[in-house]
Amino acid sequence: MPETNFITTIGLEHYLVLSAVLFSMGMAGVLLRRNLIVLLMSVELMLNAVNISFVAFSKYNNNIEGQIMVFFVMTIAAAEAAVGLALAVSIFKRFKEVNIRFFEHLKG
Amino acid sequence: MTDAILFWFLALVTIGAGLSVVLMSNPIYSALCLAMTMVGVSALFVTMGAYFLAGVQLIVYAGAVMVLFVMVLMLFDLKHEIQAFTRGKITGAVKIGTVGILAGLIVGAITLSSKVMELAKSAPAAAATGKTYGDNTMSLAQNLFLQNVFGFEALGVVLLVIAVGTVALSRSRGGTHARD
Repeated sequence: MPETNFITTIGLEHYLVLSAVLFSMGMAGVLLRRNLIVLLMSVELMLNAVNISFVAFSKYNNNIEGQIMVFFVMTIAAAEAAVGLALAVSIFKRFKEVNIRFFEHLKG
Repeated sequence: MTDAILFWFLALVTIGAGLSVVLMSNPIYSALCLAMTMVGVSALFVTMGAYFLAGVQLIVYAGAVMVLFVMVLMLFDLKHEIQAFTRGKITGAVKIGTVGILAGLIVGAITLSSKVMELAKSAPAAAATGKTYGDNTMSLAQNLFLQNVFGFEALGVVLLVIAVGTVALSRSRGGTHARD
């Protein structure tokens, strides 16, 4: 009989691996996409992956501190989305497109 | 057994939706897939016993942040996207390779780490001794407002600064509500 313990028993490492996979996908999005809005969405994906690993460690350590940290991350993520989208609107108004290659024109 | 089925289903949904965020070339589909990912992450919080955080995740992310994204997309009215991905096959391959190496390193570190294995074994034992993880919301509030009250206040100041900064950005030259 093959070993099925890995599939039937869910432990800390399952959640951590899921979090790592989600984080890597968000990172690939940031590196590969050119649309500013999709870039911001990928950043949100990475922050969510980190939240999963915070909550998983909080559960398996029997310590509530990790969940407090998730609160802080959520607040910062919302603030970051607001500022990023304000920048995107300002870029779009000038160039009629939201490609990140226009960001070099923002200086000065 | 039920929690295993639930976990694998949610992991599949979350990873599928997350992959579509990166791969869809139309930004509005990306936004919908991101909302799906948020709902999946919220359900994963429920499976880990963090009920309050699951509710906050749904309200803040799937509610507020996604509405913000969709409103801005509506404002832009992007019919089609030219050049959704980066140019250059070699640099693209290097980037994908970098991400793959990072993921491999993290997963390898998790599976080889003795501390993680020790924690994974100790959790059922702690539950058996009667030390419960739950009454989640009350202990969360006590920790937030007693031990971490300074961080909470600092976060309020950061939010105020962000609000003022966003208004200043839109009022500046070239912004959406410029004075001239």
